[in-house]
Amino acid sequence: MGTPESTTSGRTLRARAAGLTDQPLTLLTVGVFWTWLVVRWTNDFLLDGALIERNTSFFPVGPFEAAAATLGALAASLGPVGFPVGWLAGFFEFLAASIPYLPQLATGVWATILLTVLGIALGFLIAVPLSVARVYGGSATRLLALGYTELFRGTPLLAQLFVLYFATPLTTIIRELPAVGTGFIPAQAFWVAVIAFMLNSAAYQSEYIRSALNSVPEGQLTAARAIGLSKVDGIRHVVLPQGLRYAIPGWSNELVYLIKYSSLASFITVRELFERTDAIASETYRYTELFVLAGLLYLALVISASLVMEYVEDRVAIPGLGTTSR
Amino acid sequence: MPPFPLQSDWAFVAGNLDLLLAGTGITIGLTAASILLGFLLGFPAGAVEVYSRGPLKRAVESAGVVLRGTPLLVIIILLFFGLSVSSSAFVTATIALGLRSAAYQSQIFRGALQSVDEGQLEAARAIGMGRLQAIRSVVVPQALRRSVPGFQNEFTIVLKDTSIAIVIGLGELLTVGQNLYQGGQSTAALEIFLTVSLIYFVLTFVTNRSLDYVDDHFSIPGGERA
Amino acid sequence: MSDPLLELDDVYKSYGEEQVLSGVSFEMDAGDVDVVIGPSGSGKSTMLRCVNRLTEINGGDIYLDGDCITDADTDVNELRKQVGMVFQDFNLFAHLTALGNVTLGLRKVRDMDKATAQEQGYEHLEQVGLLDQADSYPAELSGGQKQRVGIARALAMDPKLLLFDEPTSALDPELVGEVVEVMRDLAAEGITMLVVSHEMGFARSAASDIIFLDDGQIVEHGPPEQLFENPQAARTGEFLSRLETAHEEE
Ligand SMILES: Nc1ncnc2c1ncn2[C@@H]1O[C@H](COP(=O)(O)OP(=O)(O)OP(=O)(O)O)[C@@H](O)[C@H]1O
Ligand SMILES: [Mg+2]
Repeated sequence: MGTPESTTSGRTLRARAAGLTDQPLTLLTVGVFWTWLVVRWTNDFLLDGALIERNTSFFPVGPFEAAAATLGALAASLGPVGFPVGWLAGFFEFLAASIPYLPQLATGVWATILLTVLGIALGFLIAVPLSVARVYGGSATRLLALGYTELFRGTPLLAQLFVLYFATPLTTIIRELPAVGTGFIPAQAFWVAVIAFMLNSAAYQSEYIRSALNSVPEGQLTAARAIGLSKVDGIRHVVLPQGLRYAIPGWSNELVYLIKYSSLASFITVRELFERTDAIASETYRYTELFVLAGLLYLALVISASLVMEYVEDRVAIPGLGTTSR
Repeated sequence: MPPFPLQSDWAFVAGNLDLLLAGTGITIGLTAASILLGFLLGFPAGAVEVYSRGPLKRAVESAGVVLRGTPLLVIIILLFFGLSVSSSAFVTATIALGLRSAAYQSQIFRGALQSVDEGQLEAARAIGMGRLQAIRSVVVPQALRRSVPGFQNEFTIVLKDTSIAIVIGLGELLTVGQNLYQGGQSTAALEIFLTVSLIYFVLTFVTNRSLDYVDDHFSIPGGERA
Repeated sequence: MSDPLLELDDVYKSYGEEQVLSGVSFEMDAGDVDVVIGPSGSGKSTMLRCVNRLTEINGGDIYLDGDCITDADTDVNELRKQVGMVFQDFNLFAHLTALGNVTLGLRKVRDMDKATAQEQGYEHLEQVGLLDQADSYPAELSGGQKQRVGIARALAMDPKLLLFDEPTSALDPELVGEVVEVMRDLAAEGITMLVVSHEMGFARSAASDIIFLDDGQIVEHGPPEQLFENPQAARTGEFLSRLETAHEEE
């Protein structure tokens, strides 16, 4: 495929987290991050706050405040050369300020992950037939699939969210469904967002899969037909297993993209990470700390996703297929 | 109930077309300013990633990872309410979109620079050019041509993401639509948001076609296999 | 005397203006090995592909075992179960191991269960001498090994007829021998094969008949001794002598 960077789209470049993902420090941070999340969720959702009360952080604020104060005093006494110590003091101050909000943000992270995973997984189910239609369909199906992708790729995701949420009866319909908004099941806005992400991400995913299918040599389908497989079976058993492997890098980028853009669900009142952060910030006016914190949490999610996808790519790798030279 | 509610809703949108077009103007201006800022920062950043070593390269790479790993929404809010870089929503949005675009453009240029054959640099050195001169007059022109497709993508991404500036109340296209909708008091929700989407669609479509043309126009005859 | 296994009756094929096959007729009996030779672009591949309907003909009929297979209502997938094909550039399924390549048709076309399919798959790999490479992926095999897997994959479907389209021409010269040897074994086992190949050693020793195709028409058709020692048409002699010199130069 020649030079991947120049031939693939700009969005393909998104996840290439520039080699940061293989550093031990990154792995350690991601490990701590997920341990915290899982323990937090288990405590809050499953154990009903058995370990610690729901809105109480695991970490005491005191020591961090004390450290910040000591270091701050030290920095002041050092005068102009004390600025690195001053920075460290600032870092501890930041930690101390962040700690009380962590439990609420963890709940937001849960919604963010759920939105992303559902959006991309459901989108994938649409994207596969869509891309197959683009590559193998008749002229009418091809045009239809092309129209779909162009429309969804040509308009902002936020506008799509607004159309679905404000301008269609979708909200009312979902609200009427049994169980929506009770117990574990999120309220209607969440589902509208999932539908929007599904439709939007299907369009992008189908582009990645389409170009991957095109890179499967034609002889593969010919050979499949020659042993008596029907066209559909040949696509299913021979072309797709190869094409989907080629599509993994693009697909990882789509995952990263969706993690970040899931923040747009806050505009339609979904209580995901950004919305939670914003709500706390407008109460406490600690905009900088909170949004830096939110940014770090998103970054941790994005890096985790890249790591997972690298692992998946590794696991399904086949000699001579995909990233290795072709 | 008006006799033809549908018709009157479309009439409402038509009556406010001037507002929508003004918003479109801001969207276009914001896109252009952000892409430009992104280019001015992103191109050197890409070159640094390819040709430099040490702390500068690491700093550029880390900044890129952070900017590419954080939602634009967070970047905008942080710049506007947190760091208060400017009281102007337009300036803030330009900086946010521009910085993030720089992070992506740097990757496009990095890839394009790396895709230019090593031999090109050697050949330029062999006729007596200095390293910097060789990069500037042989590698960069080829790399810029190769980055058009990636750049095209980035352009439409920025165009669409200007809509996120709604969060700081910038009066771009989607904000105008949202204002017309008046938080649910208007019955013309579908008409408004479809019209807004249509305008975005036309903008991305025209952008794509124009850049397709640029790509054809500047492509090197006989491909790139010299 | 029973029907011929394969019969082409006045077959025509054109791509737009270009006439590729112009009235091709011949017959093969079960157990025959016919080798098709002819200059590049003469329509050899097209003729083969018409037999398993990877290409559709414009005129004439093709019969397999007495059934007309070019009828509109022929089930092409059913037909292709009975006609195996080996490709010039192998076309091994890149995502499957050698064994996976051989068993895919058994499992998905013949609906065999996995264990039975694998058992048969191993047998066919053994037949082409590649039992030890069963778990290798195509990218890990040499050209000659790839082509032998290609042959095993076609054999696995237990076809009435095997088509070969220049099976050795993408191979380095030193790898040709192993593939030809496998083909010779198959010929000796009585498998019916229609082979496009310019591998003259194989043609001389294994072919029942040689078909010389030029410009979409059969110029000459007969046993190898006749074509090599005593060609009837001037063009046949010219073509064969050009082949010989090309070979000596290699
Ligand atoms: N799918 C196609 N569309 C249009 N023309 C085709 C197609 N396939 C083959 N042809 C043309 O038909 C003619 C015969 O092609 P064919 O591949 O059958 O020749 P061949 O004898 O196998 O040649 P070679 O020895 O080079 O493989 C050629 O002129 C070729 O250009
Ligand atoms: Mg051929």
